[in-house]
Amino acid sequence: MHAGFIFLAVIVGSILFHVFTPWWWTDIASNWGAMDDTIVLTFWIGGGVFIAVCLFMIYCVFKFSYKEGRKVEYKPEDNKLEIILTVVTTLGVAALLAPGLIVWNQYINTPPNAINIEVMARQWGWQYRLPGEDGKLGTSNIVNINDQNPFGINLDDQNGRDDILIQSDELHLKTNRPVKILLRSTDVLHNFYVPQFRAKMDAVPGLITYYWFEPNKEGDYEVLCAEYCGIGHYGMRAKVVVDNEENYEKWLEQQETFSDFIATLNGKEIKKIKLAKINNLNE
Amino acid sequence: MSDDFYKNKTSIEAQPSRTISDSSGSVSDIDYVKPAEVSDQDLYHGHSFITKWIFCQDAKVIGIQYTLTAVFTGIIGLILSWLMRLQLGFPELVPFITAEHYYQFVTMHGMIMVVYFLTALFLGGFGNYLIPLMTGARDMVFPYVNMVSYWMFFVAVLVLMASFFVPGGPTGSGWTLYPPQAILEGTPGSGAGIILMLVSLALFVVGFTMGGLNYVITILQARTRGMTLMRMPLTVWGIFTATVLALLAFPALFVSVIMMSLDRILGTSFFMPTILKAGEILEYGGGSPVLFQHLFWFFGHPEVYIVALPAFGIVSDLISVHSRKNIFGYRMMVWAIVAIGALSFFVWAHHMYVSGMNPWFGFFFATTTLIIAVPTALKVYNWVLTLWRGNIRMTTVMLFCLGFIVTFVNGGITGIFLGNVIVDIPLSDTYFVVAHFHMVMGIAPLMVIFGAIYHWFPLVTGRLLDEKLGKWHFWFSFLGAYSIYFPMHYLGFIGVPRRYFEMYDSPYITSAVGLNQSITIAALIVGLSQFIFIFNIVKSLRMGKPAGKNPWKANSLEWQTPNVPPAHGNWGDKLPVVYRWPYDFNVPGAKEDYIPQTTPPSEVLEAKVEKT
Amino acid sequence: MSDHTLDKLPGGFKGMATDMGSDQTVFKGVNWGKAMMWIFLLSDTFIFSCFLISYMKVRASVVDEWPYPSEVFALNFMGVPVPLLLIAIMTFVLITSSGTMALAVKYGYERNRKMCGWLILATALGGLTFVGMQAFEWSKLIHEGVRPWTNPFGAPQFGSFFFMITGFHGTHVSIGVIFLFIFARKTFRGDFDAGKRGFFTSMKSDYVAIEIMGLYWHFVDLVWVFIFAFFYLW
Repeated sequence: MHAGFIFLAVIVGSILFHVFTPWWWTDIASNWGAMDDTIVLTFWIGGGVFIAVCLFMIYCVFKFSYKEGRKVEYKPEDNKLEIILTVVTTLGVAALLAPGLIVWNQYINTPPNAINIEVMARQWGWQYRLPGEDGKLGTSNIVNINDQNPFGINLDDQNGRDDILIQSDELHLKTNRPVKILLRSTDVLHNFYVPQFRAKMDAVPGLITYYWFEPNKEGDYEVLCAEYCGIGHYGMRAKVVVDNEENYEKWLEQQETFSDFIATLNGKEIKKIKLAKINNLNE
Repeated sequence: MSDDFYKNKTSIEAQPSRTISDSSGSVSDIDYVKPAEVSDQDLYHGHSFITKWIFCQDAKVIGIQYTLTAVFTGIIGLILSWLMRLQLGFPELVPFITAEHYYQFVTMHGMIMVVYFLTALFLGGFGNYLIPLMTGARDMVFPYVNMVSYWMFFVAVLVLMASFFVPGGPTGSGWTLYPPQAILEGTPGSGAGIILMLVSLALFVVGFTMGGLNYVITILQARTRGMTLMRMPLTVWGIFTATVLALLAFPALFVSVIMMSLDRILGTSFFMPTILKAGEILEYGGGSPVLFQHLFWFFGHPEVYIVALPAFGIVSDLISVHSRKNIFGYRMMVWAIVAIGALSFFVWAHHMYVSGMNPWFGFFFATTTLIIAVPTALKVYNWVLTLWRGNIRMTTVMLFCLGFIVTFVNGGITGIFLGNVIVDIPLSDTYFVVAHFHMVMGIAPLMVIFGAIYHWFPLVTGRLLDEKLGKWHFWFSFLGAYSIYFPMHYLGFIGVPRRYFEMYDSPYITSAVGLNQSITIAALIVGLSQFIFIFNIVKSLRMGKPAGKNPWKANSLEWQTPNVPPAHGNWGDKLPVVYRWPYDFNVPGAKEDYIPQTTPPSEVLEAKVEKT
Repeated sequence: MSDHTLDKLPGGFKGMATDMGSDQTVFKGVNWGKAMMWIFLLSDTFIFSCFLISYMKVRASVVDEWPYPSEVFALNFMGVPVPLLLIAIMTFVLITSSGTMALAVKYGYERNRKMCGWLILATALGGLTFVGMQAFEWSKLIHEGVRPWTNPFGAPQFGSFFFMITGFHGTHVSIGVIFLFIFARKTFRGDFDAGKRGFFTSMKSDYVAIEIMGLYWHFVDLVWVFIFAFFYLW
């Protein structure tokens, strides 16, 4: 008998925990509120089933506890009831699947005005590349990566010359402008995840994967790697700053393009050679 | 409420069939059962200590061997979980747990619990002991191969444990062993550790194929007279379907293990794309990491049903016996088990929604995953409808069944969250997933395992486990485990990723410090409370109340053996004859509230039996 | 004894369900060992299917060019490169050995010890020839620079899959050959006639064991046909 009370307490406790929990999802900062809505719908339907089944079970525990000589129902089957339950469950499942798939369809179809942004993952940090003035990212190959070409951009591809290289782990985005994240990895699986944006996808070496979102709230957001990638996985953090137009342009101006990068390197090279010559003369 | 549960009741002996034929040649006989199609099994009898207890071909001994080995590995897995929780809850307290060690604990804990503990215990432990007894066979069809299967499992466990002691330690790649990281430096144990893991898995698959063939063919071809497929207890149906899944799903694991071994040892590139590491392009190239994921999850998803289906079958029988009522909707329960088993081969990529596979697959797999929820829900309804208008005995066994229902429905519902592809996007690789699979695969089947042990201990040992200690064990385990995993879902909602050694100073994650600490404390309490169970077993082995024959007054065949515990050959001279299904509880008109499967109709003429 | 249940079986699907679900056995009159072998072969089919599907996936997605099998596997016969000559012979040998195996099963059931024994030996020799030719092919390719991790003809995965798949198949054939030699000895000694108990299993020997062995051998042959089709011909 008192077992029933403890089970009841567990169910009531679960409901209370859910209602009063201080641990709830982060404030959403992107357009993917539909994901949150689908979760809420799932809570109503799924949570409703959980509570209903458990309460029914608890009721049975109270009402049908063992009594010598109790009249027990002997009914091997009740096909009608089973069919009704199957139909109701199927409807419930469909009610979850339909909106879910509609939103999934939105997730995989990038809006045409989204800006491509390459996120390059490696053990254990992040780098970024923006398409520059021509709006196109230059093609790249991992075998081209070296100190002179940290992103492995193909030197014959003109589109790559004006690509903006961001070697720090801080990416800035403009608010209310959709972006398509193109994920690349140079070594193992990683995943570029900002909880406030909700969206994520693995970065797979040998492939380019993608997802899109539209940030709509200014602020600083932490990036968490969300696919186990070795011993540094938990430390593979970065920062995304969502700026208004003005601040974004200010930040963009300070970034260097691939051509700038090469030029600076060449400049350093020329300086080095000159220095070496001077040193040689002095000896 | 008098409790006459422990009084010895006279057993109802099985009667041979009687044939009455009249002069016209037509036969009318209510006790008629088809004659034997095959001759009685010719068993090997061990005579030395070694052939009776070590290299023994008796499925009951083999079942106990599997159980003991699986439980041993489970205890190791449990200890590893304590170490992991200590690091997550109180990182300053345990500086000896480095990131490297932590990931090795995570990996070994996962692989041990899923494969070496749960699968081995359900199929090797319960399967071996119960299948011949419940189907009326004397033993498995090929006892020699059955014996070899256990020793292969034993060697696989040894190889796995050996990986703790090799240079570099065991693999720390996560139980999912994803390439390229699993075999590259930067992941712990990428030297010898991963190789031993792969070898151990290959041995495990070979051994379980040998065992699985035995379970399947014994159920299909070696049942006793009168035991039709639809008179088998749901325990047998659950283990049977799970074994079929194992035979068809383990090949994918085996193939992925072979290919990863070749990638690691010979430098092939099945799964390895071009990789830049520490400034150098490695020798690999052209391979596909996603291919491994497809192969692994083609195995991995049926694997969770290999764990779940025996639990479904067993819990149906436990609920039925302890509420003195037939399982509601037996036929639908059978079909649901088979449907779930079949569908489980079509849902694997719901583990890969964010893997970078073709996004259009998301539509297909979300649909199939949510479809599989329907037969599963039906089973849940039927379990609670079995309680409805029953006569429920609040034994320890029944408590564990109720605990199973609560935790399984909870875990199953969170599975619906994750199966709906768009909902999986924010939640994947967070603690929501960890909470989900622990609830549905750890706690719920574990409730069934405990309940099953309390239920069948009297058959295996002839003694009952202590009920009071059992109830303490239940409440600690159920309430404790629920307090670990229910709140953990909310860590996932905040966005805390899984497989994080440390949370650092992330502003919102630090808000969860208190939650992590309380989860750790609950985990340690639940872990320690298992000593109540171990103490109960050791104590009851010597001093437990003698159970006598069929103390729970159950109907299924395993309780109708002439000896308790059952002797070699199970049935003595005469194989049992079955006349009815195992759920004739409280049949109107019958004298007792149960009618064993071996009771012929002529002995219960007054009972208004509806289903046979 | 009149079989009551079969007389009372309803027609159609319900009758089939009743028959299959009836007591004792699902597969009427099928020896348990045969049933076990069928299920084992089903599982083994999944293994080879996983290998071949992975092969097709990788071949479709590698960036490097895939070598032309007909060129790689050509044999030089009197100065003329004959494409796929060796595996054509290997296929012929293996299929013929399936034929001798089937005949062995027939003679086994007729309890014709001598014919059965000789045909089992012939099958074993066919299998041995096949493995020998496979080993020759391996050595030829290794000599030409094909390794599991690289090869001079194209994508490195070509060698990887070649050695892995033919290696697994060859291992299956070799295990079969060993068992065939054991069964040939048992046949000639009269173990199957006498129902002698096995050394390991202590179970009574019976000629059905040869049919069970035959099932395994035909499976090995069938797998080869698929490997031949997908890997060599395509």
